[in-house]
Amino acid sequence: MIKRYLSFLAPIISFLLLLFVWEMTVNFQSIPKYILPAPTDIFTSLLLNYSDLLRSTFITFRITFFAFTIASLLAIFIAILFSQSKIIELSLYPIAVIFQVTPVVAIAPLILIWVGLDNAEYAILILAVIVAFFPVLANANLGIRSVERNLCELFSLYEANRFQRLFKLQLPYALPFILTGMKTSIGLALIGSVVAEFVAGSGTSTGLAWRIIEAGNRLDVPKLFAALILLVLLGIILFLIMSLLEKTLLKRWDIDKS
Amino acid sequence: MFKFNKIYKEYDTPILGPLSLDIKKNSFVSILGSSGAGKSTLLRLASGLIKPTSGSVEYFNNRKPNIGFVFQDPTLLPWRSVIDNVLLPTELTFKNKKVSKEKAYFWLSKVGLEGKENYLPNQLSGGQKMRVSIARAMVQDCSLLLMDEPFAALDEVSRNKLEDDLLDIWKKNKLTVLFVTHSVTEAVYLAERVLVMSSSPGKILDDVFITEKKLRDDGQQSNEFFSKINYLTNILKKESNE
Repeated sequence: MIKRYLSFLAPIISFLLLLFVWEMTVNFQSIPKYILPAPTDIFTSLLLNYSDLLRSTFITFRITFFAFTIASLLAIFIAILFSQSKIIELSLYPIAVIFQVTPVVAIAPLILIWVGLDNAEYAILILAVIVAFFPVLANANLGIRSVERNLCELFSLYEANRFQRLFKLQLPYALPFILTGMKTSIGLALIGSVVAEFVAGSGTSTGLAWRIIEAGNRLDVPKLFAALILLVLLGIILFLIMSLLEKTLLKRWDIDKS
Repeated sequence: MFKFNKIYKEYDTPILGPLSLDIKKNSFVSILGSSGAGKSTLLRLASGLIKPTSGSVEYFNNRKPNIGFVFQDPTLLPWRSVIDNVLLPTELTFKNKKVSKEKAYFWLSKVGLEGKENYLPNQLSGGQKMRVSIARAMVQDCSLLLMDEPFAALDEVSRNKLEDDLLDIWKKNKLTVLFVTHSVTEAVYLAERVLVMSSSPGKILDDVFITEKKLRDDGQQSNEFFSKINYLTNILKKESNE
């Protein structure tokens, strides 16, 4: 029981301790706000700019959510295509790997030119999709291919058709793998949308990354930290939602996949 | 029931045969042999899951019977309840849902899992999972039951109970059973006929019919039962020494 409370309380206490040491250090050393603001300054900035920051958080969330959804659906669809034809897999997998290994900052200008400077949000969305896509594809592909031989033979014995095999065996079997990929992907979608906004963003898309750039340019470091905190919180919330979804969907699965 | 006609199977190396074999309808045949003797390959050839490199499998009246397959692992789908696992073959073959459900309930009660229909596989013991697997094999009114070391991973008590239940199912349902095992005792206890296979490539080393009474009137195993076990054990020992 004590251990349970301790595992919950220990990180909170150490975090509060860190904030306290931070606050004290900044105050006693008289460190200027534009170098390192105290936690209270950051909190004050968060309250003063909450309307702007919340709107930006929502924009970043919206791009992340759409990028994650599009990337997941596209990756699962392509993994299904791979499972149906070895030729398709051999043809398309290298292209997927090329997208995975190409740094998003390197292709951002190109995407921005293609979608037009007025549609920076679309460019950010496309870039975030590219970043988030591969983990789901790799895991879904692995999951579909990992179906036990005996189960495949069972379906062959009853002459299951392609669709029965896919929907009654391969996809449900691959679900834990897909969800693992999605858990990685949701974090990458957020990172992708922030990085993409850094390189392709403009005044037309004012997500959190834009707020960070703007605050940095004005040396408004407390606001920069406030935006950063919201970004971290958004990442944690998205990860927790994904973990909850995974736990709910995999309730029926044995830990060792029976 | 069916015949193996000069059947031969190879992948990169010869696995099985050439061998010819006649399996009578309603018989219970055990297949014994060391690892790599091609016992599982023989079952897969009988089921049509794999094709022979040469030779043929001839079914009675040239009609493939309804086949049930029980693997060494229960091979249940973890996301499906017990009843849904049993119903799987009927779903895949588009059988009438209502009739299939009645049959599934019937077979689950036959294998002693009444009341556990809505359990998930991870809520069952190893023996219970194997019972679900047997019920799934039987739900399509199969006439040929192929079993690939189904009780190998079970403890002795569960194993003995399942052996008795299997014998009961075989006797009452006019089944032909092909049962692969490593256990000589199990093979003799269950079968009317035991095939001993040699390895690399797998061939029939001996074909032993068990016509003697296995149990005495007091329920204990008979002397004939033990002499058959000794005989088969000696063949296997000799084969492993060669």
